[in-house]
Amino acid sequence: MLKAVVGFIAGVIFVGVVGFNMADTMMLREVESPYGVEETAARIQRNIQGLSDNGWALSGLRNPAKAVANAGVNVPPVLLIEACSTKYSAPMLKDDDSRILSILMPCTITVYKKDDGKTYIGLMNSGLMGKMFGVGDIMAKVQEDQYKFVQFDDSKPAPPLIRQRAGGGGAGGGQSDDGC
Amino acid sequence: MSFINKTGWSMAMLFAVSLGFSGLMQTTEVQAAADAADDATAKAKSKSTADHSKFKELDVNFKSGPEVTKACIGCHTEAAKQLHTTKHWKWDYINPDTNQHLGKNNVINNFCTSVPSNYKFCTACHIGYGWEDDKFDFTAEEKVDCVVCHDTTGKYKKLPGLAGHPNYETIEWPPHSGKFRPPTDLKTIAQNVGKTSRATCGACHFRGGGGDAVKHGDLDTSLTNPKKHLDVHMDAEGLNFSCSKCHTADAHEVAGSRYQPTAKEDKGRLIPGSLDERNTATCVACHDNAPHKGSLSKMNEHTDKLACQVCHIPAYARGNQFTKMTWDWSTGGKVDEQGQPIKIKGSDGKVKYDSKKGDFTHDRYVVPEYQWFNGEVKWTLVDDTFDPDQILKINSFTGSADDGKSRVWPTKVFRGKQMYDKVNNKLVVTSLSDDPDSALWKNFDHKKAVEYGMKYVGKEFSGEVGFIETEMSWPITHMVAPKDDAVDCHQCHKENGRLAGIDGLYIPGANNTPLMDKLGLAIAFLTLIGVLFHGALRYIMHKRGG
Repeated sequence: MLKAVVGFIAGVIFVGVVGFNMADTMMLREVESPYGVEETAARIQRNIQGLSDNGWALSGLRNPAKAVANAGVNVPPVLLIEACSTKYSAPMLKDDDSRILSILMPCTITVYKKDDGKTYIGLMNSGLMGKMFGVGDIMAKVQEDQYKFVQFDDSKPAPPLIRQRAGGGGAGGGQSDDGC
Repeated sequence: MSFINKTGWSMAMLFAVSLGFSGLMQTTEVQAAADAADDATAKAKSKSTADHSKFKELDVNFKSGPEVTKACIGCHTEAAKQLHTTKHWKWDYINPDTNQHLGKNNVINNFCTSVPSNYKFCTACHIGYGWEDDKFDFTAEEKVDCVVCHDTTGKYKKLPGLAGHPNYETIEWPPHSGKFRPPTDLKTIAQNVGKTSRATCGACHFRGGGGDAVKHGDLDTSLTNPKKHLDVHMDAEGLNFSCSKCHTADAHEVAGSRYQPTAKEDKGRLIPGSLDERNTATCVACHDNAPHKGSLSKMNEHTDKLACQVCHIPAYARGNQFTKMTWDWSTGGKVDEQGQPIKIKGSDGKVKYDSKKGDFTHDRYVVPEYQWFNGEVKWTLVDDTFDPDQILKINSFTGSADDGKSRVWPTKVFRGKQMYDKVNNKLVVTSLSDDPDSALWKNFDHKKAVEYGMKYVGKEFSGEVGFIETEMSWPITHMVAPKDDAVDCHQCHKENGRLAGIDGLYIPGANNTPLMDKLGLAIAFLTLIGVLFHGALRYIMHKRGG
């Protein structure tokens, strides 16, 4: 009996340690982009606009690196693309129990450069987050769309980066790229 | 205007307007820096022993630049003669180590490729007036442009197409912009001359390659008034170095050279006042070869193999300006449905296609490419033949781990695809701007442009133009970050770190020796066996009641 209890506790600790160490990669996803920071961001913006049938609209573009640089620190470029879908946000905002999840809105995708000189895209694992907070069905669809945001069609020319508020979709923010 | 007659002036005006070309503005005005320049001017003036606005020789309504120069050399009698011996004036240089005939007028690059046959355009960045063809008089003192370097007003501007002159009459600039630039106020400028500044040097050097940040990557207008994080030396609110603080001048010859750089300096710090004629524009000249103190002294073990810039310039183009990374001339010449040339901008807002020039790419905050460098640069010149199936190095940095003269340097490698003589396998001089009939930017005919350019310099041309992939290296040495922003140890001391692929370096954490790896594993395994054996023995002894 003692052996079984010790074994169970050891198993729990093991799973806990593994889970803790993997949490960052489970919650967040990082993919390399074949383009520069601006072009990657612009292509993601175009993909978001292409999913307007699902209620998606751009709600902002932020440049936190610029604010940091203005404070006198060297940081590689970072652009945050903000988008929101009324189709997915409406049910969550409507319900008292899930309204607190507005803290995760708008949906943010980050594009940044690392010290290896390459450009990366950072996404939240919306599906997992949704399961954790009881809105798994909705967030699974969000995740599905998110993956489409980062599928690039190389045959299409690079679009201009949309720096001003796109309007619609309305998750607030929506400033120009001059800082947080 | 004795040096440009009315017809010439009109042609220059027409030329400038017809260019329709704002990307290649090489100007001496850096608008964004005007305030900073004014501040710097005020400080500099306060220390000067002469107020030029009080000189009656300068209280004149000058009609031309050379008139100003005549007034300058009336007092500064030797200045023009000194200038005549410099690289800034001659654009001509023979490297004593390689005997290669270099200088801006002789080399071919992979930006706008060549100066000859394009003088009116290119000499907007010459420190002279009127270099419009190969008959320029290099002995004329009044043709030296004093104010391009000594202007403190920020209002002096040499426009492309005017052969090094500022505009003396009202001109629409940029062409087709609807904006008009009034005649240059030479009197005010002459009365406010002073020390050189980042703005005056940067008027050309920040805009090398035809626009802000284009060529060097570590030099652009963000350095006119930089914050400390961008350049710890030029920090406008801190040390506030002007270029001449390091690039000291002796009889107007400025220290530092792209043709014969100092890659490794073993002699240590340069004592002010010493008769040592070493290059003053090096880190070691001030900081010595063992600059790290206390707990950082371990870093001094790197200085023998790594240039200071490797760690202290983590990336170039950090000032929010995009630097040009590639240029493909072969795609030029496309027109729209109306037959008009086109320009297409990329996501970054920079022009990525121009009918006159082809395709470009740009980037910012770029991690350098690293290479061994001993200071010797070998150039591929117009008379040199090459293998067109290989990527051609326009300039090759020589050096290695074991020659004792090299250090690893950060570089910007600019990649291009440019015109060459397909039969003779040689680089070519191309007429781009000046000649109304042959210039590539007017007729998009590569063959015609090369034919004219090669004839201009008296070189043979087969008649067949090809496009060769080229690379050109630029040492990165400006935009020095504060020590807190230097490259972290782990960026090199890891697999596939920054210096991966550089031969002759042993970097713990990055390199491995198979024998050493096996030995380490064996020791670890044996230790584990020993611990288990020891533990087992103690357990058994305990059971036996020992």
